[in-house]
Amino acid sequence: MTTDNSKTTKSLLSTKEVTRRGFVKGAAATAGVAIGSGAITGFPTIWAQNIKDVTLRQFGTGVSNINAVADKVKEDLGFTLQMTALDSDAVAQRAVTQPKSFDIADIEYWICKKVFPAGTMQPMDTTKLKNYQYISKLFIDGKLTPDSEIAQGTAPHTVGFVEGADSVEFASAPTQWMTLVPTIYNADTLGIRPDLIERPINSWADLLDPAFKGKASILNIPSIGIMDAAMVCEAMGEVTYGDKGNMTQEEIDKTIAIMIDAKKAGQFRAFWKSFDESVNLMASGEVVIQSMWSPAVAAVRSKGIACKYQPLKEGYRAWGGGIGLAKHLTGLELEAAYEYIDWYLSGWVGAYLNRQGYYSAAPATAQKFMSEDEWGFWMEGKEAQGDILSPDGKVMEKAGAVRDGGSYEERMGSVACWNSVMDENKHMVRKWNEFIAA
Amino acid sequence: MAKTREKRPTSFYFLAAFFALFVLFLYGPMLTIFILSFQGENGGLTFPMNGFSVHWFGNLFEQQAVGDFGGSFLRSLKLGLIVMVVTVLVSFMAGLAFRKRFKGDSVIFYLAIASLIVPSILISLGIGLLFNIVSWQPQWFTSALGAHLTWTFPFGLLIMFAVFNRFDPSYEEAARDLGASSWQTIWHIVLPMVAPSLIGVAMFSFTLSYDEFARTLMTAGALNTLPLEIYGMTTNVTTPVLYALGTVTTGFSFVVIAIALGSVLILRHRKGQKA
Amino acid sequence: MAFDMSKRSSYFLISPMALIFAIFLVVPLLTIIVVSFWDYDEYRILPDFIFENYKYLLGSSVTWQIYLNTFKYAALTWGFTLLIGFTVAYFLAFHVRSLTWQIVLFMLCTIPFWTSNIIRMISWIPFLGRNGLLNSALMGLGIVDEPLEFLLFSDFAVVLADVHLYTLFMVVPIFNSMMRIDRSLIEAARDAGASGFETLRHVIVPLSKPGIAIGSIFVITVVMGDFITVRLMSGGQSASVGLQISNEIGLLQYPAAAASAVVLLVTVLLIVTALLRMVDIRKEL
Repeated sequence: MTTDNSKTTKSLLSTKEVTRRGFVKGAAATAGVAIGSGAITGFPTIWAQNIKDVTLRQFGTGVSNINAVADKVKEDLGFTLQMTALDSDAVAQRAVTQPKSFDIADIEYWICKKVFPAGTMQPMDTTKLKNYQYISKLFIDGKLTPDSEIAQGTAPHTVGFVEGADSVEFASAPTQWMTLVPTIYNADTLGIRPDLIERPINSWADLLDPAFKGKASILNIPSIGIMDAAMVCEAMGEVTYGDKGNMTQEEIDKTIAIMIDAKKAGQFRAFWKSFDESVNLMASGEVVIQSMWSPAVAAVRSKGIACKYQPLKEGYRAWGGGIGLAKHLTGLELEAAYEYIDWYLSGWVGAYLNRQGYYSAAPATAQKFMSEDEWGFWMEGKEAQGDILSPDGKVMEKAGAVRDGGSYEERMGSVACWNSVMDENKHMVRKWNEFIAA
Repeated sequence: MAKTREKRPTSFYFLAAFFALFVLFLYGPMLTIFILSFQGENGGLTFPMNGFSVHWFGNLFEQQAVGDFGGSFLRSLKLGLIVMVVTVLVSFMAGLAFRKRFKGDSVIFYLAIASLIVPSILISLGIGLLFNIVSWQPQWFTSALGAHLTWTFPFGLLIMFAVFNRFDPSYEEAARDLGASSWQTIWHIVLPMVAPSLIGVAMFSFTLSYDEFARTLMTAGALNTLPLEIYGMTTNVTTPVLYALGTVTTGFSFVVIAIALGSVLILRHRKGQKA
Repeated sequence: MAFDMSKRSSYFLISPMALIFAIFLVVPLLTIIVVSFWDYDEYRILPDFIFENYKYLLGSSVTWQIYLNTFKYAALTWGFTLLIGFTVAYFLAFHVRSLTWQIVLFMLCTIPFWTSNIIRMISWIPFLGRNGLLNSALMGLGIVDEPLEFLLFSDFAVVLADVHLYTLFMVVPIFNSMMRIDRSLIEAARDAGASGFETLRHVIVPLSKPGIAIGSIFVITVVMGDFITVRLMSGGQSASVGLQISNEIGLLQYPAAAASAVVLLVTVLLIVTALLRMVDIRKEL
């Protein structure tokens, strides 16, 4: 296993990287060999001997709390990563109320905006992360390319940094202290069943088209659902927003009023709260149009059911997640956590996530772990040359397929809004409850 | 008992048909799960069937993309067993205590009733908040255990009431007359007589705990119990492995029932032999 | 002295149960009451003494709507479980003649109770869906042309699942009460010329009242506090009090959740007190 591992590492990572990984593995294996390493500052040599005993507890949504990652961590880094998958409500709740129950939090940026100020997490020193330089600019200054526009909402870079090691104040410009290291993100849009919908769909407004009465669905996580609702209302020309990511009470009231009318008219079949509900609603034909996540579309398609991730003229609603450190982490465990997070950015996980239809936060490293065809299909919007396989080896797309929405730049470049938490959050949640109870 | 066989009234047949429908209603949906757990390898969570296989049962014991069935199953099993032992012991003690009136007995009684009727989510919320405020870490073997006990104790206590209300004290008196100490009386006379009911309490408390969801929600701490894991699965899993799990856990419940019934029968048999 | 001893032993015997109830029932409920007066922001609960949570809760039309909806579910579920539960118990107690058969049929009813509630609930989804078993069957038989939409993700589905889950709670206590009715009373009624229906109405129903009351307490309190059935079976489109509390918990609005919880608790206690006037539980066991 050691040889096998070092082979992959060697061929895919820089020499410097290999030395350090080799050191970790070697030292862990031949415990007691005390070698100091310059790569990790203030790093106690005893660490190498104990690394196998370290267990890091990570929790997050099912999206990225994948057991395959834990296995790979064991293989590459030697320590144990314990994963707990929860829904996004429970994630926020646990991060705030049970700070000692986790070591690594895998949360979304909009949740981070709520959670980080609670002081249950500690920021990361970016100088300790060798792969920091590969992180997409989207997470550093909000611009995918130098001339792209910053989208509305809680854009990750706005809550990505704090002023100092002990600060809980979000910094307005990048600093040395990062709240979350981005891991996974995507742009969401409407998913449709092209076999059950005859006309072309090109706008968010189509969600409320009476033609789909009783066959539409919307996401029932208030802070995200309200965004989809706002995209719809804006596209319909019913409401104009100053900032969809931070609405005024009046904007919220108008949006909810439109949604309540639609609900009373029987537009919606169900609301979904989790990945699989959206898949099942779509696959069973209960719903033919709904806001949807890219891998959910892939999951429907893998069952042999036509489903399209429909790009819309108003643009996408984007979300992003990252991993952060619990406040209580110190010493050996803290170093192991840094090691893990740096490893996360080194490409293997990135490729794994890309193959699911998400995006890796460090595309450059992920590319090294993907075949040219995979990279072309998932990232460049090119036609697949051969069959495209899912991470567990199932055929996801046949040769000749082209990804809906095109390339990485096309998709992430036309983000209209990020998932967010608003100043009027309390009011929004209350209005949203009215919508659900209506 | 030696009644002559009367002719059944017509109402019997109506009621029998009604009963049959009721049983069908109870088992019908479980049947869909049972069938769907044999879904083909590429099948989904809903009809139509996409082939027929036992793939998902095998899949159940392999590692899932997300989550951990095995760990949560063992956790629920352990928790269920702890709850079972504590409930049997404590309910039996309380049952003995309640045979005499004592100051505050009605307080305890109404607490038990309250514990039964307070919506589970409130217990969960209350314990979660309490632990949060005093900065204790919720764990499945502390806070969740406590939450489950508030659910199983009332059942245990009520069953004990039912037993001791019908208990003939003359056996005990006889034992005492023969010079047995109160502990000897409990151990040799009372315990064997109420044993079948205690098995009932055990079975009840184990299953209540093993299935408990709402009370565990905020009290389980870092690691999931099986119902929480199943609930998590319904939000993450898109394959019939969920149904395979349903079929297997149902099977497991049957085994538990069989064991409990079996032990009651054996006890009865022994008793019969002794007599 | 012997009297003293036994008293002391009573306290010793009851102390473990009293202790558990104190720590995990009384103190948590008091905590809820205290926290319901606290303030909160995005991510913290702030110790305070404010009435804002109650003011909003009781002043909002949503609350009343949700309570109305929850009462509706509770009432419908109660009605159906009572009818079905009584009939089943009646059949088992009076029409099945041998004890063995009574036990066998009774076990048959209880077995599904031992499987996971969540699994029993989600098993309705493939059955009732637009392309589910029932719709396929109805359409295959030519009874309907279009799939019936109201079967799933509707109030119908919620009540159906509730009835499915909780009828047993009605059957058990009613059956228990019926088994204790002295059979000679029924024979006496028959000898006095009462018809089967009259016997049912004037003898069996009144004597089954305790069982009916206990079953009703069970069913109503469970449905009042339920959130998972409503969420899964209505497809997230309906609200209940329990669901509202669970949503507030999810959004970290603990004080708001606590205030809702206190109101729910008071409501449930009022209902139960009313029902308890019908029966002395301690005597009935």
